[in-house]
Amino acid sequence: MASWQGVLRKDLRVEFRTRYGVSAVIMFLLITVAVILYSTPGEQLQPSILSAFLWIALFFGAMTGLARSFVSEEERGTALMLRLYADGESVFIGKLVYNLALMLALAISAVLFFQFFFTRDFHIRDWPAFMLQLALGAIGIAAVSTILSALISRASQKGALLPILALPVLMPLVIATTDATRITLESSNAIASARGDFLILISFDIAMVLVSYVLFDVIWRD
Amino acid sequence: MKIFRSNIFLWCLGIALAVQVYLSFETPIGGSFGDAAMLKMNGVQDVTPVKATLLSVDSSSALFADFYGDSGRVSVTNGSYGTYSSYRPGDVLVMSVEYQPTRKGFDLVEIIRVNPVMTFPMIQGLGELGRNMLFHVPMSMVAFIAFLFGTIYSILYLIKKDFDYDRRARAASAGGFLFTALATITGSIWARFSWGTFWNWDPRETSIFILLLIYAAYFMLRSLLEESDDKKARIAAVYNIIAFVSVPFLMFVVPRITQSLHPGGGGTEAPILNLSGKTHTAPSLLDMYWISVVLFLMVFLWIKDLYTRILRLQDKQAEQLY
Repeated sequence: MASWQGVLRKDLRVEFRTRYGVSAVIMFLLITVAVILYSTPGEQLQPSILSAFLWIALFFGAMTGLARSFVSEEERGTALMLRLYADGESVFIGKLVYNLALMLALAISAVLFFQFFFTRDFHIRDWPAFMLQLALGAIGIAAVSTILSALISRASQKGALLPILALPVLMPLVIATTDATRITLESSNAIASARGDFLILISFDIAMVLVSYVLFDVIWRD
Repeated sequence: MKIFRSNIFLWCLGIALAVQVYLSFETPIGGSFGDAAMLKMNGVQDVTPVKATLLSVDSSSALFADFYGDSGRVSVTNGSYGTYSSYRPGDVLVMSVEYQPTRKGFDLVEIIRVNPVMTFPMIQGLGELGRNMLFHVPMSMVAFIAFLFGTIYSILYLIKKDFDYDRRARAASAGGFLFTALATITGSIWARFSWGTFWNWDPRETSIFILLLIYAAYFMLRSLLEESDDKKARIAAVYNIIAFVSVPFLMFVVPRITQSLHPGGGGTEAPILNLSGKTHTAPSLLDMYWISVVLFLMVFLWIKDLYTRILRLQDKQAEQLY
């Protein structure tokens, strides 16, 4: 049986061969930023608006890239093979770590784009807190989209369903990260002023990772 | 459950609901003389219903026991409405009074009720609108309990593989959706008269909107599944459980941390469910509140049972067709 590292290695290799996921996500980010820049020429963007833009871009970017993690297995007909070679636990952890890596790459490139294109308005005042809430948001989105992507691939192979199923479930997390991002853009001591947001993020992440870990086997086995 | 099929149960529930609605609207609201003075001074409202015990009557005024006056007594002069002459000392009166700041006295406007069985407290800023606390708040509480039921049935399905649990999970979530919608409608009407608009994206309004979206997505997923029965039920159960992880965050955490027009927002203490375990609601209103919760819960259980039976019959019909 393959371990979760094996599943992760396989996914990374497939990704490096086609670069489908990464390029789709980067394109998505560029288009989002271009639309924002086109529609707000010369305007001063408030931190609350910028943080909402950032998380809209991150959420839908994640849905574009992460939805494929199980749907593509079903499309290529490799799901059965994976089921033979690895147990549910390894598949889940491997896919979760892969999705988390993709999500972190997406988040960091989004922040770089925002830093580059919104030079005047996008000033992060508290870097450690900003990175912490970015990572916590990425963990939550990766966990939910991993389990829901598996669920959709088993349901009807309709990748387009993922945002509809994931957005309402992820909403507490998105609300909290958007608020935390706004606070890190506004104040230099964000951990103290965004304490409630961080508590929501941490508890949501723990609950979601545990629940999806327990439930994955139910979806995965035939 | 068998009990929901008995006519006696349904008659009792119907009559109890009618009594609950009647009492919720008919019980007079009575504050204190202090409320009346404060609301007038702040320019909120001129006339306030007040509940007080009559001590003595003379030709032009009456003396009441109340904590507002220095001596524990408040004198109320007769207004255009009438006199106190027909009432005896010891009667409890609920009456509208108007505070007169110039002479620091109260004028009688109208006598609402004599010796009421029960009165509701005057909630500052709500007045008569406070009655909606007996509909809107129990409905949202029952909605949460319904979603909890749905999730427990989903977990039971995954453990026991009995299709009946899948049907019950679906029925319970549908009941929860119905009660969430009812709470949204009653809340929206309340917001119109308390805050001025039907909807203004208060954190709690946002979170109940997302709650409706979550369960709309759940029913959409169910309708889209074209797989075999067990797989369909398993997928629906998993989504139901994952969705429920968000529900406590939406209902209890996010609206309490952010600033909100609802009580309990932004670190203030909520009137009924809060961390310190104390309630900040007067006993008569609180008793009526819990009666409402129990009655609405019974309505939910009845709807759930009814819908489960419909689903059972539909499945049986489908089996006979194929």
